[in-house]
Amino acid sequence: MDDLLNEFLTETAESIDVVDVELVKLEQEPNNKEVLDNIFRLVHTIKGTCGFLGLPRLESVAHASENVLGKFRDGELDVTEHSVTVILESLDRIKEILAGLEATEQEPDGDDIELINRLDAIAMGEDADAARSPEPEAETVEGEIVDPGLGRTIKPGEVSLEELEAAFANAPGPGDDGFDAPDKTPDAALTAKDARGGGASRSLFDRIGGEDAIAVATNSLMNKVTSDTMVNKFFKNQDAPALSAKFTGMLAALFQDDCDTAENVAAHLAQSDGFGDTEFERFVELAKNAFSDCNVESDVCDEVAMSLELCRGAATAKAKSLAAKQSKTAAKNISTKADGGEARKSSNQSIRVSVDVLEDLMNMVSELVLTRNQLIQLSRTQEDNEMLIPLQRLSQCTTELQEGVMKTRMQPIGNAWAKLPRIVRDLTIELDKKIDLNMLGADTELDRQVLELIKDPLTHMVRNSADHGIEGPKERMALGKPETGTIKLNAYHEGGHIIIEIADDGRGLSVSKLSGKAVEKGLATEAELADMSDAQVQHFIFHPGFSTAAAVTSVSGRGVGMDVVRSNIEKIGGTIDMQSKEGSGTTFLIKIPLTLAIVSALIVQAHEERFAIPQISVLELVRASNNSEHRIETVKDTPVLRLRNRLLPLIYLNDVLGFSKAEDHQTENNDDFIVVTQVGAFTFGIVVDRVFDTEEIVVKPVAPILKGISVYSGNTILGDGSVIMILDPNGVASHANAGMTDMDSTEDQDEATDSAGIDRKEIDSLLLFRAGTGVKQKAVPLSLVARLEDFSADQIEFADGRYVVQYRGSLMPIVLADTTMNIAETGRQPVLVFTDREYTMGLAVDEILDIVEEHMEINIISATQGVVGSAIIEGQATEIADVAFFLSQAFSNWLKSRDLSDEGAPSANMSILLVDDSDFFRHMLKPVLTVAGYKVTTVDGGAAALALRDNGSMFDAIISDIEMPDMNGFELAEAIREGGQWIETPLLALSSLASERDIERGRKAGFDDYIAKFDKETLLQALSMQLKIRGDAA
Amino acid sequence: MNDLVVRNSAEVARVGKQDFVTFYLADQLLGIPVLAVHDVLNPQKLTPIPLAPDWVAGVLNLRGRIVTGVDLRDRLGIAKKDDGVKSMSIVVEHNEEPYSLQIDRVGEVLSLEDTLFQKNPKTLDPAWRSVSKGIYQLDKNLLVILDVDKLLEIEIDKVEAA
Repeated sequence: MDDLLNEFLTETAESIDVVDVELVKLEQEPNNKEVLDNIFRLVHTIKGTCGFLGLPRLESVAHASENVLGKFRDGELDVTEHSVTVILESLDRIKEILAGLEATEQEPDGDDIELINRLDAIAMGEDADAARSPEPEAETVEGEIVDPGLGRTIKPGEVSLEELEAAFANAPGPGDDGFDAPDKTPDAALTAKDARGGGASRSLFDRIGGEDAIAVATNSLMNKVTSDTMVNKFFKNQDAPALSAKFTGMLAALFQDDCDTAENVAAHLAQSDGFGDTEFERFVELAKNAFSDCNVESDVCDEVAMSLELCRGAATAKAKSLAAKQSKTAAKNISTKADGGEARKSSNQSIRVSVDVLEDLMNMVSELVLTRNQLIQLSRTQEDNEMLIPLQRLSQCTTELQEGVMKTRMQPIGNAWAKLPRIVRDLTIELDKKIDLNMLGADTELDRQVLELIKDPLTHMVRNSADHGIEGPKERMALGKPETGTIKLNAYHEGGHIIIEIADDGRGLSVSKLSGKAVEKGLATEAELADMSDAQVQHFIFHPGFSTAAAVTSVSGRGVGMDVVRSNIEKIGGTIDMQSKEGSGTTFLIKIPLTLAIVSALIVQAHEERFAIPQISVLELVRASNNSEHRIETVKDTPVLRLRNRLLPLIYLNDVLGFSKAEDHQTENNDDFIVVTQVGAFTFGIVVDRVFDTEEIVVKPVAPILKGISVYSGNTILGDGSVIMILDPNGVASHANAGMTDMDSTEDQDEATDSAGIDRKEIDSLLLFRAGTGVKQKAVPLSLVARLEDFSADQIEFADGRYVVQYRGSLMPIVLADTTMNIAETGRQPVLVFTDREYTMGLAVDEILDIVEEHMEINIISATQGVVGSAIIEGQATEIADVAFFLSQAFSNWLKSRDLSDEGAPSANMSILLVDDSDFFRHMLKPVLTVAGYKVTTVDGGAAALALRDNGSMFDAIISDIEMPDMNGFELAEAIREGGQWIETPLLALSSLASERDIERGRKAGFDDYIAKFDKETLLQALSMQLKIRGDAA
Repeated sequence: MNDLVVRNSAEVARVGKQDFVTFYLADQLLGIPVLAVHDVLNPQKLTPIPLAPDWVAGVLNLRGRIVTGVDLRDRLGIAKKDDGVKSMSIVVEHNEEPYSLQIDRVGEVLSLEDTLFQKNPKTLDPAWRSVSKGIYQLDKNLLVILDVDKLLEIEIDKVEAA
């Protein structure tokens, strides 16, 4: 493309952007002259250049805008919203044309007539809003060139030309009443002179010959003036009638002793500066001559000259003051330029450099850094070396050079914000709201690349704030908030990062709306939502495809929302967080690392290859071995690391990269290195084979073919020349574990903030024991344990396919606590004795470890029989044994072998319906209930239960889970209580949620009782109680 | 040398004689127009990339530039090498990105008459036909002219489509 055109495009684009911003500023401060001037000047330049380059479309649009702007500047038009909108429109049109120009090197075809007409209409004042009734202005614009023909506003004390002419016309002339009609003859003039000389009251006017004489003289004067080389330049810009009128007016007024008027006109005689004394004298001479040409007597002419002297001051004063003013303003301009220059010296002293050049420079410096690293590495191997000192110096220089070049890529964040005022302005109009945009820290600098990447997310968030966050003025007033909403942007540096805050004082995020949306999209169940904190619910906005906007407006709501923003920010290694309070507003906090290209990375080894992990994501390094306090433990095949009372999920890098499979890992006697990594709010550990050291590496983008592989975020050349891949922790995490959702990550967060919820968890007494290989520790609620016994091995007998022991007069069955353990052949066999009504059973364990008081929070639910789940007890991953299961194991066998079907059935074979979607729980509970003597029917959900009801089945009691898909327990209860056969049937809720809230809710829904899931005792008690109640009532 | 190379180098203009760099890949002689070749390298240390497509042999460091290695055998459907001998590299450029074609050994630079040039036989393996410009008949063997752009484009498209 033509160089000239190229430059034109760049410059004009920049100018337009500036005008954009300035126009919005102008709207807010309509009287800001500086801004107005700036805008006018820029548009004027654009127009000029367009004309010069032969771009007619652009020129005409710019011209039309310039007209309006000119009127603004001259004060003839008010700066109104409408007119600014149209001008902004014209700017957009110009941008469009520029874009077309850039693409095709020619102006695109198009018609701007409509827009131009509108602009012209505004300029003409046809816009009712804009037209201003003529008013005198209070002050002049300095340095203004006076337009010819008095095409400008009138200063105070001045009189418009029309008025002057009117006054002149009205002024009594010869032949009018009240004056002696002067003789137009020289005699009369003589007489006049005499009269004058003698103190007579005949004015010079009359003596000259009145109006007509003056007219004739003026004519002559005109000719003289225009042909006189000294003075003609002062009058040449004025057209003849106007000039003639001036002369006539002045002379007439003068000769009638109306000095003020005469002076006023005289003051405007000369239209350019420089009309000083000499020039004035010439003018007087000419005037004298003119009159004498009209046969006015010489002494009258002298009088004319003398009276004209009265005007000298006025006539020349203007010129002088104009000159003075101009020189003053010139001086002032220079000084302001100097000041402005001083103030902005740093930015004025700048040169344009193409971005490519900077990129190349950056690359070169990066190479230099790499080579330096290489040298340093080499020098490390050689000890005593005279190269060390120069190397150090080189290293220092390189670092400084690196930093310096980085700085060239730094741009103030204001550049990203530049478009925002306009966007907010347009939004306020479109949405009929009042919004104030505050931008703090606009000169905080950040890397150009980063700037590009966050521009769009920032814009998106500001739009969101304006669209969803800030309420309409009426609503705000009603809420007691100021009518104008505020969106505040704040940027500052903090510890190697740039922090950007986007805050608004609007509605905040509605928890209820978000909850509803989450349920609708199937992201969480109602029960789960009830459990979440407000913050957690609000974080749902980061989910893909999430938008609570009822309608997709042109502004937002396209659901491209916050998840894209978040991934964009995380892509550059930043984080985004959000705090929102309903009714008060929302604040987003973005944290971005300052530099992209050169990062510190940890070099690790997996299999035989080395990889780099960006230091910024690495929290710590842990070495795990069986002997140390950090052990890799498996919970049901999931490797975890116990780290300071957290269970850290582990990902084997070898698995991710395909070198090994999950099953291959042995946790026995291995030395494993774990890199504790954090991505966003999610912390996990990457297991690697070896850890080297941290190095500064230059990130080079991966080849295009590899772009799709999420685990790599780039590659680099190490000091030794080898190429290694840079891992993206985010990619590693998602690659390894698709099951990790936000829910888990927020769970992690919650653990930290959970102290408030402590009251919800009771402290349980737990008995810790060891049984079998595998998990180191198992536990069982102490309350369930009747006794701890320690039998000698020979007491335990094997009969009928089971272990039994003679105990207190009866045979007690022994069940092994773990399938991998064996009953002790010799020595002692510890046994936990459980009693259930008249049934006693012993649970054989390998070793009783301890009794502790802790709250049992089951983190991971197990599907294994005999295990309820896992929890962290005493800082260790612990399996919670399912006593019920063991009991049922013992007693079903027992029942079978002893055929006790009649004996001991405690109740009259009441029938129970058990509703639970979990196979496990149904299987666990059914035996418990059966053992207790009930006849149990199980279904897997509310629908199936209701189907049974509709079929006519009747039960004595119904036990239902709460958290079920499709129809939860509450809904089922409500359905049952609504009508049908079961309306009176006792309904018991069985749930792991047991807060006051839940219980209340359960009762409301129709449950008669609410029992925690793992509390078998209470369940049975409650059941029998309910049945008894019914039984009694019946 | 890199800077002097003609950009649209893959075009084989038909004016008398053409120069080709030839190389062997499992006993098949292949060629690339001389001007398309940026470098010919001895066996280099190639870093394998886990999870990359099969035809990506790895990456190597060429004077500070990271070059993607292309496993030609995989691309052309020839059995993998197992004799432990490292492959040589011919570095070409595609879309301003350098790629290294891993070959068995380099042959000679041949200057060949156009008259010896033949279009691809219809029965040629489709995998080859899509990346071959044609065949030169030499005394002892046939020289298949490789269309580097096509070769690399197809792969990149495949990845992007995935």
